[in-house]
Amino acid sequence: MSLGFSQLKALVIKEFKEAFRDKRALMTAFSMSLLAPVMIMVMSKTMIKEMVEKPTVYAEFVGVEYAPKLMEDFRDDNILPLSEAEGDSHAIWEKRGIKITIPETYAEDMVDGNIINIVLNADYSDKPSLAPIRRVKDVIRDHARAIGYKRLIMRGVDVRILRPLNLVEQDRAQPSSNAMMISMMLGLYLLMGAFMSGLATAIDSSAGERERNVLEMLLCQPISTLKVVLAKLTCTSAISMLSIVLMLTVTSISVGFVDLTKIGATFSIDAFTFTVLLVLLLPICIFAGALQLFFAFQAKSFKEAQSTVTMLIMLPAFVPIALIFLDNRPLWLDWIPVAGQSIIMEDLFKGLPIDWAALAVTSVVTIAMSAALVMGLAKKLKSEKVVMALS
Amino acid sequence: MIKVENLHKTFGKDVKALNGLSFTANDGEITGILGPNGAGKTTCLRTLYGLLKADSGVATIDGISAVDNPIAARAQLGIFPDKFGLYERLTAYEQIDYFASIHGLSGSHKKQAIEEVLADLEMEDLAHRKTQGFSQGQRMKVTLAQALVHKPKNFVLDEPTRGLDVMSTRILRDYLARFKAQGHCILFSSHVMQEVAALCDRVVIVANGKLAAQGTPEELCQLAGESQLEEAFVKLIGSDEGVAA
Repeated sequence: MSLGFSQLKALVIKEFKEAFRDKRALMTAFSMSLLAPVMIMVMSKTMIKEMVEKPTVYAEFVGVEYAPKLMEDFRDDNILPLSEAEGDSHAIWEKRGIKITIPETYAEDMVDGNIINIVLNADYSDKPSLAPIRRVKDVIRDHARAIGYKRLIMRGVDVRILRPLNLVEQDRAQPSSNAMMISMMLGLYLLMGAFMSGLATAIDSSAGERERNVLEMLLCQPISTLKVVLAKLTCTSAISMLSIVLMLTVTSISVGFVDLTKIGATFSIDAFTFTVLLVLLLPICIFAGALQLFFAFQAKSFKEAQSTVTMLIMLPAFVPIALIFLDNRPLWLDWIPVAGQSIIMEDLFKGLPIDWAALAVTSVVTIAMSAALVMGLAKKLKSEKVVMALS
Repeated sequence: MIKVENLHKTFGKDVKALNGLSFTANDGEITGILGPNGAGKTTCLRTLYGLLKADSGVATIDGISAVDNPIAARAQLGIFPDKFGLYERLTAYEQIDYFASIHGLSGSHKKQAIEEVLADLEMEDLAHRKTQGFSQGQRMKVTLAQALVHKPKNFVLDEPTRGLDVMSTRILRDYLARFKAQGHCILFSSHVMQEVAALCDRVVIVANGKLAAQGTPEELCQLAGESQLEEAFVKLIGSDEGVAA
């Protein structure tokens, strides 16, 4: 075994020993993986509940007595008069102020066949009111259509005359794309996990060692700074990777407990998805480790390192969200770290075929950028500035 | 052999840390560097380790330039640094093992070297304890063991007796004397005059980044016309400044 390799081996072993004996750092790393499935389960359960159930809507009705049949339809759709609301919900719905006015002349106009104006008065910019408004409109439209059809049938007209065109919709999306929200969350969480899990280890092995006065001793040894950085990076990214594997394993088990078929979705992490995600996230773990070490080594204290490096976590959260708002993505986005992985992950969750070329390019770019950070850091550790900051 | 010739080093624009410092530390001798705080001792030693680059001048360890080839030069050195911290989550043994591996020892040879250094420093009972919570003396022993496990030809200590009790100081002194007897070159910086007087064969006095005087402790006393090294030191550096610190 050459001297170079045995030195690197000793450095790596030492980093692992220290990292795995640092209970606090390990807890941070793995608590995130264990919390992931809990979060996803809670979120998807809430989502299913919202999509499947029709929560009660309270609206202020004027002229209820003029249109009993319409009121029955409203009641069937769980839209009730405000007077029936109790306690908190009364206050909430009163504030939302959805007002439906049925004219006095309803019955007369109905008999005469006149158009009846039903007034819906509400704040259309208020987001929580949007779903109730949509439901009120649906009820009124369906009620009106039912009456219209009956009138035609009574006159011996085929109701099909009203539908000269029929739109046949064919949704090419795979069943699992309906679980987009859940998978987007998982994607975001995985990226965050890759960035966060190694954080404590990265800071401890750089700024922490400086603060404990062991860095100077190490820099005085006959080893290149490149090896020092590589050893620390190996350990940091291995911990991120382990955390990702744990996160995926626990999540794939726990999604089994959520009945996604209720919202017409299927979502599972099979062996293929699992492997692709791992391949995709490995370079990200390395990149995150390199980025964290790069900044943590330059911080003057443990505290400073913590605050600087914590800012880096914004990166994985920010990029996929920014991507949603970009309608025309420039092509280079497919290649840069985090964005590239995020796009491929989206395709994977949508059930679209994977663009292997893009995966390869983004992985290579990510690793090349990590290598640049490592070289830069190794060079920086040789500089006098770093040495002077030791004392 | 450690040789420093005409070292110059300026920090920033006008802080002259080294101003033409030259001295030689021979094999089989303990050479003490004395100097007030801020005289340039640590800067000089850091140049020897290859951590700092001198603006001009040469620093060589066994003929290898610490400036041009720091990694090869460091391989000839055992270093007891200014600030010695320990990897507190490792045991003393693991820590010594780590530095032994960095210096290229492996297998049974490494194991034997570690056992030897542990026995020499009478620290077998400490070996398998994590270093967290070690006393100052125990920390010194671990640092010394990790610096010496590869049996370096040259040995540099930066104020090693700081904060040590009498017993630990004695162990250190005995150990250094044994190394000297084996023909190693030892360079030693300190503030404690009695210790320098008792231990060092030759003393180099540094003030304002350059050599103020050198010789055996007796020669220095004679040179200054004083009977105590401390008085001679104050006279030779030309002021009382720094001595109280």
